[in-house]
Amino acid sequence: MSTQENVIEIRNLSKVYRDFWGRKKVQAVKSLSLDVKKGEVFGLLGPNGSGKTTTIKMLLGLLFPTSGEIKILGKRASDVAKNERIGYLPEESYLYRFLNADETLDFYGRLFNISAAERNQRADELIKMVGLDHARRRQLKEYSKGMTRRIGLAQALINNPELVLLDEPTSGLDPIGTREMKDLILKLKDEGKTVVLCSHQLADVQDVSDRIAMLYQGELKVLGGVDELLELRGETQIRTGNLSDEGVEELKALLAKHGMKDSLIQKPRADLEELFLRTVRESGERPGRRFTAEEMAATQPADTGKSGDAS
Amino acid sequence: MDFDPTPYNIGLGLKNWLSLVGIIAGLGILLGLVGSFASAGGGGGGLFSNGISSFFKELASISPRRVWALASLTLKEAWRRKALLVFVVFAVLLMFAGWFLTDSNDRSDLQINVHITFMLTTISWLILPVVMFLSCWGIPEDIRIRSLHTVVTKPARRVEVVLGRMLGFSIMSTVILLLMGTVGYIWIERQAPKDLDQGKFLTCRVPVYGGLFFLDRQGMPTSQGLNVGDPWLYRSFVEGNSRCRAVWMFNEVTPEKLGNELRLESRFEAFRTIKGSADTIQQGLEAQYTLVKNMREEAFSSFGVGAGLREVAEALRAGDFQSAAELLDAAAERMQSSPADFPQVDCQQVAISCAVQVVPVLRNFKDADLGDVADAFLVFGDAANSVKTGDAASYSELSRACASLAETVRKRADDMFESMPKLEVPLEPFRVSEYHEGDDFITYPRKLKYVADYEGTARFLAKVVSGISEAGKLADGGELSSGLVDELSENHGVSPVNAELVFDVVKSEIDAGTLKVDGNKVEIADGSSWLRLFDRLVREEKLISRDTAGWEMEADIFDDLTVNDYLRVEVACLNDQMFIGMARADLFLRLPDRSFLAGFSKALLNIGLMLSLVIVLGVTASCVVKGPVSFFFTLTIFVIGQFFHQLMLKIVAGSQEGGGMVESAMLIFQHRNPSVGIDANEGTEAVVKGLDWGVNGILKIASNIIPDFSTFSEASAYIENGFDVPWSTSVLPAIMTFVGFLIPCVIIGAACLKFRELEAK
Ligand SMILES: Nc1ncnc2c1ncn2[C@@H]1O[C@H](COP(=O)(O)OP(=O)(O)OP(=O)(O)O)[C@@H](O)[C@H]1O
Ligand SMILES: [Mg+2]
Repeated sequence: MSTQENVIEIRNLSKVYRDFWGRKKVQAVKSLSLDVKKGEVFGLLGPNGSGKTTTIKMLLGLLFPTSGEIKILGKRASDVAKNERIGYLPEESYLYRFLNADETLDFYGRLFNISAAERNQRADELIKMVGLDHARRRQLKEYSKGMTRRIGLAQALINNPELVLLDEPTSGLDPIGTREMKDLILKLKDEGKTVVLCSHQLADVQDVSDRIAMLYQGELKVLGGVDELLELRGETQIRTGNLSDEGVEELKALLAKHGMKDSLIQKPRADLEELFLRTVRESGERPGRRFTAEEMAATQPADTGKSGDAS
Repeated sequence: MDFDPTPYNIGLGLKNWLSLVGIIAGLGILLGLVGSFASAGGGGGGLFSNGISSFFKELASISPRRVWALASLTLKEAWRRKALLVFVVFAVLLMFAGWFLTDSNDRSDLQINVHITFMLTTISWLILPVVMFLSCWGIPEDIRIRSLHTVVTKPARRVEVVLGRMLGFSIMSTVILLLMGTVGYIWIERQAPKDLDQGKFLTCRVPVYGGLFFLDRQGMPTSQGLNVGDPWLYRSFVEGNSRCRAVWMFNEVTPEKLGNELRLESRFEAFRTIKGSADTIQQGLEAQYTLVKNMREEAFSSFGVGAGLREVAEALRAGDFQSAAELLDAAAERMQSSPADFPQVDCQQVAISCAVQVVPVLRNFKDADLGDVADAFLVFGDAANSVKTGDAASYSELSRACASLAETVRKRADDMFESMPKLEVPLEPFRVSEYHEGDDFITYPRKLKYVADYEGTARFLAKVVSGISEAGKLADGGELSSGLVDELSENHGVSPVNAELVFDVVKSEIDAGTLKVDGNKVEIADGSSWLRLFDRLVREEKLISRDTAGWEMEADIFDDLTVNDYLRVEVACLNDQMFIGMARADLFLRLPDRSFLAGFSKALLNIGLMLSLVIVLGVTASCVVKGPVSFFFTLTIFVIGQFFHQLMLKIVAGSQEGGGMVESAMLIFQHRNPSVGIDANEGTEAVVKGLDWGVNGILKIASNIIPDFSTFSEASAYIENGFDVPWSTSVLPAIMTFVGFLIPCVIIGAACLKFRELEAK
């Protein structure tokens, strides 16, 4: 994977929000460095206020980094030309509420100088894809949250982008919508596109992401492949078809012979949610520390019940 | 107001604009440098150059289609907000409030003026706050609800966002303006009384203004007329029954432009020194136009200021070039013998007069080639220029030049007389009352009948008689033909008795041998010109009119009275000891009227440009600050630009009574008159002057970067007063002002939007 070209390169990126008088209010991102490779789905995780949206906005040139460098599609973040190949779904859909769905897509399509015929065709496809065909002539101010989200997504894809930045794509979506969103992300991946997404729906991220980064108070805590991070070392999983009790006993005996007593023959419980909670907890205990994949995986799954504070 | 502002000078405007934009750009670059070094420390240079280069790349890659997409978004937004529609309906209704403003007993043309004024004022003042509000809130609202995020993460450039907003709001305001304008126009049109003299209503007069100077009591040109005692008076006065004249020079007087007639419209002021009876006051004073073509005056009016050459100058102006040559000879001699008669200062004046008046005019003759005379005057002028007091050599050089000038003038005397006529056509006197109602408007036909003076008679007869002779009708078989009398009276408008007179005189000249008859032709014995002959006859008083009407003749305004398309109109007051006051704009040629619709449209265009400029300023301000602040800012700029711009210019130029701001504040505080000045010791006065210097500096900057909004409202004033809106003095400056502010505003707005973070703070 490392041989593939980087779509996004972030080096030592920091962002300090200041007030009108230039006084420091909050450091939202602290010397963040990461790369996103072409063709992967990259998940950006972190508790509320950890700097995910800030990072994405800096990638898009909406915010200016306090220090550090960004290369996105080989260009500087402040270069508008990069936007030709990017699709962005904001945290909330910041759209013009007096337009209807057709007009919205037409408007954004015109900003890409897409020809009228192609615009119409793409808009039609996208509206059908996001399931708004029945409401395409209604103004957005009448839309429900999920509908707004859907048209927001359609808008992000109007230019058939190479790189898609999705800020909490599933928020506000119903289970079917969430499912469709995940399918869509995988479809985009199949088409060779790069997707960066932020989300709190850890299960969703887990399902679609190749790699994830986890931020905590602006610092990068975890970075790596999902498989690699969620692998529970010191355990071996055996998966077969439905085994009879007899078979289970036999297997236990076999394992006992290899010195493995008290083996649990069932699904391992470790999942992304757990990793997330652990990271948040440990980051709270040991600030300023970056965890490696090995470290995160080495420890046995802890009792997750008591570590309630996730913020 | 004055309806005669000077035409807009594009070159000068452009120069000022470029230097100002240069200064602002320099300041912007400085600010950018400081900003980038402050934010990036040592890397500031790189940051700055990256920023600048990407900014200019954006400017270069503006796409009209994206701008249009953003503009139509703005339009759609305005349209979908029904409030705007409600406003338009309300505004259209309000326009008709003018209905209740007029008194139906008033003169109907005054009523119409009130309607037009009210209409145009309402239109602009109703739309203005709306567009100001919308343009100031557009972008900040976009930033606040973050819809701009979605736009600028598309390939839309920030400059396109700015342009799109400006364009969208401008189209919106133009549409509303057109709507209200159309309704207003239709209404005014229906309101104008149709049955009455249509020319008086809804006119669009097209004035052509001339240059004005005066002749003093001695008939010498001066720039100012008399002052009747009020030091702040705008008009200058000419005295009745004297040689005082107000002289207007109108350019481009051609039948193509004026349409075979001369229409003079004036608004003079009568000033009486003797109060008459109610009757005479009602009648007013008598004024008279005289159309003058005086080539000698054109060429020599400033020649010979000093004592030494005065007589020469008078002879030249009288057209007596032979005597002028003799006087020049005499002067040449005196230059050698008593150079003190020609002091250096006088010679300098003569040199200037030759260089700027005599030589150019002589060179400019269309039909006669007087180039050698011009050369002689040039040499003479040069010699006069190098004269030095006590330098005998320079005086003998001058004397030589003078003698050679005399020689040339003598040689060309006849040609000069021929081609430098003086023709005065006095027109019918008219009355100027003290209490005006409307303007004095008189139309004169192209061919004017007038009573000729001596020279006019001579020129007329010379031309006509030589023409008859050329046609072979003057003589018949060696005898003077009596056909001359018929020819003169029937074809040339000469009265029969005077035709007899001409016949008698020509006959006596044949008898005296000055004319000889050869077959059916008559020739002058010594080969000189017919004009010379008749000039002599007139001077010898042999041709004094036999009837009381005098020599009635006809002159063609365009053929006979204009010089290089210039027409000279002199105005005299005919009443003893009375005065008529005049200023440059008080007399104008009225070209064929334009349609009211055209003028009204131009006034609307100017209002539209004003609204668009307000939009441009509002959008620019809103790129930097939030809605309320930019609204306040735009409003301030507008109020200053509309009401105080002229005052600012006056204060900066020092032409405002009472001096600078601090000085006049002290004057008010000390209850003093502006012409007295402040009461302070030298030290304090120096401080006041110093402060004023500083204030003036600020005002000067302000007057340059705040647009003069009165440029735009002026157009309405024209139309309200029944004038066409002149292109070069009203529409063009409005367009130039708009474009001049548009370009830097777009750049400033785009830069501010680009180099700020789009977070709602
Ligand atoms: N415009 C702003 N001005 C000042 N501080 C801000 C601004 N935007 C964000 N912050 C702060 O920056 C930090 C990071 O915010 P950010 O929006 O990036 O978090 P996030 O990871 O996207 O959170 P969430 O999961 O809730 O969306 C927070 O502490 C937030 O308060
Ligand atoms: Mg966020």
